[in-house]
Amino acid sequence: MAGLTLGVAVVIAIRLANTGSVRGFETALDVVAGKTSLEIVGAGVGVPESQLAGLGWLAAYGRVSPVIDRRARIRVPAGREYAVQVLGVDVLRDQPFREYRLVRFAREGQNPRPHELLALLLDAASVVLTERFAVRHDIDVDTAVQLVIGDRVHDSVVRGLLLDEGPARVVDGQLVLLDVATAQLLFDRLGWVDRVEIQLFDAEGIDEAEAAIAERLPDGLRVQRPAQRGRQVEKMLAAFHFNLTALSYIALMVGLFLVYNTIAVSVISRRAEIGMLRALGATRRVVLRLFLGEAAALAVAGAALGLPVGWLLARVAVRLTTTTVNTLYITSAAAVPPLSAAELALACAVSLPLALAAAAVPALEGAGVPPVAAVRGADRVSSGVRPPRRAAVTAAILFAAAGWFSTRDAVGGLPLYGLAAALAVVAGGAALAPVLLALFRRAGRPALARWFKVEGLLAHANLSAAVTRLAVSVAALVVSLAMLAAIAIMIGSFRATVSHWVGQTLRADLFVAAASRAPAGPAATISTATEQRIAAHPAVAAVDQFRTVDLPYGSDGDLIILGAGDFEVLLAHGGLLFKHPADGHAAMARAVGTEMVVVSESFALKHKVAVDDLVELETPRGPRAFQVAAVYYDYSSDRGLVVMDRPTFERHYGAHRPVGLTVYLDADADPDAVREELLAGLGSGQQLLIRTNATLRSEVLRIFDATFAVTYALEAIAIFVAIMGVAATLLTLVLERRHELGLMRLIGASRRQIRRMVVIEATVLGVLSQALGLVVGVALSMILIYVINVQSFGWTIQFRLPFGFLARSTVLIAVAAALSGLYPARIAGAIAVEDRR
Amino acid sequence: MVTVPRQSISSPPAHADQPTALHARDLRKVFGGGDTGVDAVRGVSLDLTAGECIAIVGPSGCGKSTLLHLCGGMDRPTTGVVVVDGVDLATLDDDALTAVRRERIGFVFQFFNLLPSLTLSENIALPLLLAGVPAAEGAARALACARRVSIAHRLGHYPAQVSGGELQRAAVARAVIHRPALLIADEPTGNLDTDNGRRVLDTLRTLNRDTDVAVLLATHDQAVADRADRVISMRDGRLVDAAIPAAAGGAS
Repeated sequence: MAGLTLGVAVVIAIRLANTGSVRGFETALDVVAGKTSLEIVGAGVGVPESQLAGLGWLAAYGRVSPVIDRRARIRVPAGREYAVQVLGVDVLRDQPFREYRLVRFAREGQNPRPHELLALLLDAASVVLTERFAVRHDIDVDTAVQLVIGDRVHDSVVRGLLLDEGPARVVDGQLVLLDVATAQLLFDRLGWVDRVEIQLFDAEGIDEAEAAIAERLPDGLRVQRPAQRGRQVEKMLAAFHFNLTALSYIALMVGLFLVYNTIAVSVISRRAEIGMLRALGATRRVVLRLFLGEAAALAVAGAALGLPVGWLLARVAVRLTTTTVNTLYITSAAAVPPLSAAELALACAVSLPLALAAAAVPALEGAGVPPVAAVRGADRVSSGVRPPRRAAVTAAILFAAAGWFSTRDAVGGLPLYGLAAALAVVAGGAALAPVLLALFRRAGRPALARWFKVEGLLAHANLSAAVTRLAVSVAALVVSLAMLAAIAIMIGSFRATVSHWVGQTLRADLFVAAASRAPAGPAATISTATEQRIAAHPAVAAVDQFRTVDLPYGSDGDLIILGAGDFEVLLAHGGLLFKHPADGHAAMARAVGTEMVVVSESFALKHKVAVDDLVELETPRGPRAFQVAAVYYDYSSDRGLVVMDRPTFERHYGAHRPVGLTVYLDADADPDAVREELLAGLGSGQQLLIRTNATLRSEVLRIFDATFAVTYALEAIAIFVAIMGVAATLLTLVLERRHELGLMRLIGASRRQIRRMVVIEATVLGVLSQALGLVVGVALSMILIYVINVQSFGWTIQFRLPFGFLARSTVLIAVAAALSGLYPARIAGAIAVEDRR
Repeated sequence: MVTVPRQSISSPPAHADQPTALHARDLRKVFGGGDTGVDAVRGVSLDLTAGECIAIVGPSGCGKSTLLHLCGGMDRPTTGVVVVDGVDLATLDDDALTAVRRERIGFVFQFFNLLPSLTLSENIALPLLLAGVPAAEGAARALACARRVSIAHRLGHYPAQVSGGELQRAAVARAVIHRPALLIADEPTGNLDTDNGRRVLDTLRTLNRDTDVAVLLATHDQAVADRADRVISMRDGRLVDAAIPAAAGGAS
């Protein structure tokens, strides 16, 4: 039941964690969106204020309010920094959209009047925080705090606290309210707003209004519902979540093997009892129902226990995945949602039928016990060996199917066929378990007898006699270990690929980013002063600025990243790794200053774009077509990047501050020393993150490792469950073999010899499973690398075997298997001579 | 058949000059406790000298098997003394008792009790292998033993591949491969047809004479009992009388 509990728990945990990370964002969205019915957004860079005047006609549909919505960090008096969502609003216009109830006014039992709020925000140093945040960090009205935005540190004074309701609940109270003009200033957004929100007079007529507004909007502006942003995030995370979910079901599968084992043990230990029932007139059906009922009870108990355990696991998983999600995708306050009826239904839906299916085989065996078993006692459960040939043929068919599935395309951006291929390989590996055991039976005895003497001989004999019984749990272990090997190979290959890519492409000496860099969404910018100071440093040879904006692309509105950099500097100093064409360098040179772009591999794969194709991007002046000059390797984001030369970008999107600088130094300069000098030159009002090439490389790999932490955690659970399965099977065998063990004791085997024998059996099973697991794992890793990964993320990964890890894990599995054999060994050792009967 | 008084059972007429293989005194075995306790063996004394063969006969439930278990170090008496080949079993811990079984006692049972997944050769050599004898030497001695019981041609086979008679002869070979002082045989022919039963008995008796192993066998079968040097009847946990079969020199 422990196995089933764990299986259900893992499935529930991943489900909760996944919905948690998306819902965390959606809740924030809902609350921030307030009563907004529609919003107008620009092409990546926002809505130019110059266009606002031309939008006066919107007033006919509803109340209109321009908004700045950004992320920053706030430094509290205690000195610590926290991520916050900053909302810049025109208080006079915005109040109908969101209710602002300030603590100060609430105590006096009234809402603030607009002019009172205005007074709060008129001063550029005024901020309004939430009561929840304030209480947590010991902040009150008139406390001085600092906002860290980009490379600037902005001194502010808290002028009000929002009651813990409405927008203040956003991201756990980590919300800062500013006047829109102040926000524009602080975020380098003078002349732009992030969106314009509309609260329709007639909320019912939203469909007509949306269509009518879309009709009248000038090029470069779009009208959408706030939920659209949530859907974009959900889509962004879909592949990542899908793969996690698939992984979680493996734990469940392994749990089912344990159900099989439990029922098998139950059937064996109650053989005489069943025989008696049958002799007294119980039909086969009654016996069958008896054991299926037992499985059902196990499933219900497993599900009931699995739910709360899953919820607890989810909290851990969320902590682990938040790192990934936040690093790669969005910043959100992920919280584990409470257990709902949906989870209960899922737990029962997955555990009950599957447990019954798993129990069917041993239950049928139980039903087949003849009445004579009651009197004859220990007639052994048939140890007949299914011909391994049939298993081998099954495996061959499954492997062939896997090969065919591997050639199919993704379905709706999800690698469904890829997963089918993976499943077929795993099932094929499981089918090979009896073949492996049959081979071991035929050829393993001399080696075992040589290494482990008589205990080895007996261990081989015992395992040989129980091939059928063992096949199932060995298959379960093989599946888990194959997954581990495959994931290790994939991650190892991926890491080597990324490491190589980083080495090839990160050529600059220093990388400058705003300290409060957000992983996605509007990035914080670097001020002109900083840029000039860096460029003026005597050791600096060249500076490349880069900008990124999120841009919806294609009919589905997938959020891609549009980047802009100095192509000439990149060509002279940097090193992009080109996939197509062969001479990517020359192709990129042609794109300098022209209407051409280079795109990342994941963009090309996802959107089926090749060199010389045209991609249509939204710009503030409407859609424009750009020709693809080259495709380059990129592992920084699976969303897909389109990069254009800076002059091209400015022509279409206007001048914006860069979000980062790459700095090339003179050949003889010491990057660390220059970094120190640059940082020392910063004023107290500035904060900057400067990484040297070496630290950025290690940072990339650190993020990489954090990303896959959860994968390993899930795998560890699956392997633990599988090894428990082997221990349970050994226990079954020990109970089944009481008679033989008693006989061995009789003719002179000591307890120690019996224990040693069982531990050898466990170790042998672990090592055999690992051997097959490695082979299947290599095949599986190829599917992960060449099919699933390409379809989910669009990355080329160079295949590489992490020999060190695989060797270590083999030793570890052997040790773990040996340890798992200790308990059955103890039971076996305690069997007395009298049990011979 | 000559009937002798009960008190003389422990003083055998023959083999008197031989060393004692088994010395049992006042053995008592109670299963369970309190009111529901069952006295399976009630004060049995018995001596066996080297080379002697004693058959215990009696109805089901009379305590034959329990007596054999006590004498073979498979079970401990509630009270009483068992000395096998000069070793007092009562003083031994489990490991030492195991060693006595491994080195000084051999066992043959009604159901052949061979390990199904070992070859006959491995089955026969098992007591030696368990004692740490190298595999090659074990195989050589198994072959020698197998020759004596005429199953050398079956050594590479698994138990499922040979007949019941061959299995029991292999079991006999296993029981004597380590040259025990005492051989315990519980219904050794009970699962065999007459012909095979006779061959197994022949083998047992030959080994008994040639190697001086003392044989204590329990049987239902009078024909089997008649092959022993002495026959002792058992009823309700007690030895009731002893006889020397005609074949062994007794008068009818």
